[in-house]
Amino acid sequence: MSETTTAPERPVTVEADETKPGFIGVSVPRKEDKRLVQGEGVFVDDVKRHAMAYVHFARSPYAHAAITSIDVSKAMELEGVYGTLIGEEVAAQTDAFFQIAPPPGGHVRDYALAVGRVRHVGEPVVAVAAATRELARDAADLVEVEYEPLTPVVDMERAADPGMPVLHDEVGSNVIWNGQFDYGDFDAALAEADKVVKIDRLHFHRFSSTPLETSGALVEYNRGTGQWTIQSNNQFPGFAVIMMAPALRVGIDKLRFVSQDIGGGFGNKICTHVQLVALCLLARKLRRPVNWTEWRTDQHTANSHGNERVFLDVEVPVKADGTMLGFRARMIDDCGAYTRYEPLGCIIWAQVTPGAYRWRNVRVDFTQVCTNKSPCGPNRGYSRMQHLWFTERVIDIVAHELDLDPVEIRKRNYIRADEMPYETPNGCIYDSGDYARCLDEALKLVDYANIEERRRDAEARGKLFGVGIGSTLDSGTNNFGQSTLVNPELQFSGNNEVATVKLDIFGEIVVTIGTTPQGQGHETTAAQVVADMLGVTPDDVNVRAGHDSYWNSHAGFSGTYASQFAVTGLGAVKGATEMLVDQIKRIGAAVLGADSTDDVFLEGGFVKRKDNPEAALPFMACGAIVNANNAVLPMEARDITLNCRYVYVPPHQLPDKERKYGNLTLTYATQIHACVVEVDPETGEYEIIDYGAVDDCGVRINPQIVEGQVHGATAQALGAATHEVFTYDEEGNLLTPNFYDYHVPHALDMPPLKTGYIESPSPFTPLGAKGMGEGGGAGLSAVCSALQDALKARGGAIVWDSCNPPHRVWEMLQNPEQSRANVRVENM
Amino acid sequence: MKVQGDRSFAAPRESVWQVLNDPAQMANLMPGVESFDIHDERRWTANVKISLGLGSLGLKIDFEKTDERQPEFARLHAKGSGIGAILNMDTQFALAEQGDGTTMHWEADVHIAGPVGSMGQRVLQPIVNQQVQNVLNALDRQVAAAQTPR
Repeated sequence: MSETTTAPERPVTVEADETKPGFIGVSVPRKEDKRLVQGEGVFVDDVKRHAMAYVHFARSPYAHAAITSIDVSKAMELEGVYGTLIGEEVAAQTDAFFQIAPPPGGHVRDYALAVGRVRHVGEPVVAVAAATRELARDAADLVEVEYEPLTPVVDMERAADPGMPVLHDEVGSNVIWNGQFDYGDFDAALAEADKVVKIDRLHFHRFSSTPLETSGALVEYNRGTGQWTIQSNNQFPGFAVIMMAPALRVGIDKLRFVSQDIGGGFGNKICTHVQLVALCLLARKLRRPVNWTEWRTDQHTANSHGNERVFLDVEVPVKADGTMLGFRARMIDDCGAYTRYEPLGCIIWAQVTPGAYRWRNVRVDFTQVCTNKSPCGPNRGYSRMQHLWFTERVIDIVAHELDLDPVEIRKRNYIRADEMPYETPNGCIYDSGDYARCLDEALKLVDYANIEERRRDAEARGKLFGVGIGSTLDSGTNNFGQSTLVNPELQFSGNNEVATVKLDIFGEIVVTIGTTPQGQGHETTAAQVVADMLGVTPDDVNVRAGHDSYWNSHAGFSGTYASQFAVTGLGAVKGATEMLVDQIKRIGAAVLGADSTDDVFLEGGFVKRKDNPEAALPFMACGAIVNANNAVLPMEARDITLNCRYVYVPPHQLPDKERKYGNLTLTYATQIHACVVEVDPETGEYEIIDYGAVDDCGVRINPQIVEGQVHGATAQALGAATHEVFTYDEEGNLLTPNFYDYHVPHALDMPPLKTGYIESPSPFTPLGAKGMGEGGGAGLSAVCSALQDALKARGGAIVWDSCNPPHRVWEMLQNPEQSRANVRVENM
Repeated sequence: MKVQGDRSFAAPRESVWQVLNDPAQMANLMPGVESFDIHDERRWTANVKISLGLGSLGLKIDFEKTDERQPEFARLHAKGSGIGAILNMDTQFALAEQGDGTTMHWEADVHIAGPVGSMGQRVLQPIVNQQVQNVLNALDRQVAAAQTPR
């Protein structure tokens, strides 16, 4: 991968002359990297226990079938097989998982193993535990399951049709959720418009992220206490325990979640509670620890996929000058066979209802259906990525149809920097940002000033040349109150995260965080924040690696997901450190004889008197006094513990359930990408020859970590845009279940990637920072946009799908009329 | 996946019918049959090995004749399982007299699940077509042999 980091010419901070002493904003080396590059990380599969069993899941070969019998006797005959678990046992020992959806969608009965019926290829049916991983796998092949095949539901757009087979009889249809969203006055917008652009259908495809480490866990059961210790790579233990504890009929205190290093999450590792419950039951049944590591094909086949979505009957009222007044659309979302985090995706898109645009009139009919495919769930950019791709397609198609310049129409419709904080039609507050400036920076990165000259050069070589733009708003720090907009009976709202910061007996500064880092560098950025506040260096700050819910650094929403660590995690770290600073100052003032804490300051690991810095008390002495010699303290200082726990709670409000209105998330990082392609008109093969990605996530705590996230998100987007797709046949067989058919881009697949940034600090967060890292969707849009520009010279096809491998480009070249028939313009 | 076709035989309908309805002769029709067990006149089991190019697929297939109208029509259901694949097939044929010979219209609805199924129709269709062709060619030979005076 070739790369160039480009700093904008203008100052990166809003306050141009401000200097930032300390470590925030500095690319200090990541504290985690030494152990990781030396192979000394501890991932879930590195943890072993005496006499532990290895678990393999026998999985459904059918997309839809009734289970008529299960016979595990042949598997049990193998020496070294410890035991099995089947659906009937699960149904007897657990309750079905809690459902987020209201009835009837909420009537789905979802268990840790299939009970009576399988609903997607790869669904776990029997768990087999044995002395070795290979033996467990072989034994699983000996499990005999009789199936009675049922007709599968594969086409999401027909799933709700009368007469279609129903996946969940209790639901009564395949519709999980339906809701109307009506903001502004769309009818008035139509009346005001000069033209209406109509688009029959746009399609966002099904794909997923590919963490290096697949899901896994080591589960132990303590018969004496009735507690399970779950060493896993689940990335959202706060959610997992809410799902698992009621199912297992225990309190959440019985579920101890532990992780150290996690090899990528991307949302895939949020919904592993299903497998974890099976492991809990097996550990209890077999009286031994059980280990499960997901095979890669199983990860592709049956882990959480990203949602497929179609946008139908789209209408966009437009003024003669290119001002767009809003949109109307019917959206159908496919959540796969089970609702494990769904139907939250039915509301999460609304965090970014108008995208980056000043569109005030929006009417959406949103339906989520289930199909006989792998269950869907959060996937980097969850639900917003689909919607933001839609908004970017809309603006490019409108530009194309009305012959408007794609840059100009964006700038005409972008929300302006001087309008920030900006309230969207549905009550979300975009905290800060300058989209037009980000676009200018992105265009500079791809030398847009000379783009026509480059187009002529490419055309002289027989290539079609296109330049495209894509944007995403990476909304972060969820307000879980949005869940009440899909189910008013839910009792969730707000968000929280925990950190403890303490000064120990020999002066050690020890930080514990409630998050479950998966490679985002939390140890480093937490140390940077603490170091600046305590007047030490990040090397002096020991951030405990990983997560353990027994550390008391665990709250209801603990975890790493939804772009929030820079706000929630570091907000908690900042809050705890402020408490510690105050306590250290109180000790210092007392020991140094200062009148108040205002008369001392922290520097270099000492508390010092302001009027006489020579009078200094080392942190080590503070730690020793409070922890081991506290009788020397005056009585009024005996409440000091130097062990400070802080729960950061963002300033969320309850949304209005009736109007589906309110601020659904706290921050909005911006990504604007520009992409340049050359297309071979004979074959449809194309190459991304230039690429610029500009990110604005407010104050960057560690620019190098931000840069890494931008690279990763962009790679994910380009893979999805060009070839990654989960394709099912009419039987519900997944045709792309492994790396042979599902190609994840590697370094050599990546185009020259240039990155830039601006910083628009958030006025709402403790550090001015915003969550970031989920902005890859901009790449999906940018590739589509560039391809459409390139195809303009050969029939003007309309790019209607989010995934465009060469064969699809070739089809658009061969038959541009087919896609063009999808779009029309009506004069009002 | 659904496959169908027509075939003509230079033999009377009764001869063709007998070949198609004799499990032992059916065994000779199927490519890759390693063993064959007849349970009764309606049910039999075949262990077959089907070449898949890169390897072969072992399947134990249970057949059951679900409908017949001698000498013109029969329907069979086949259910097979093996490592990596589960097969479900409904097949039927109709025989009609045409002069001294016989024409056969046949249909099969083949469902393959499991990892082999994930290869998809694009890969499996030619394999199924090849297998069908092998069966039909063997049927030609069997019918011809049945016609030959012994």
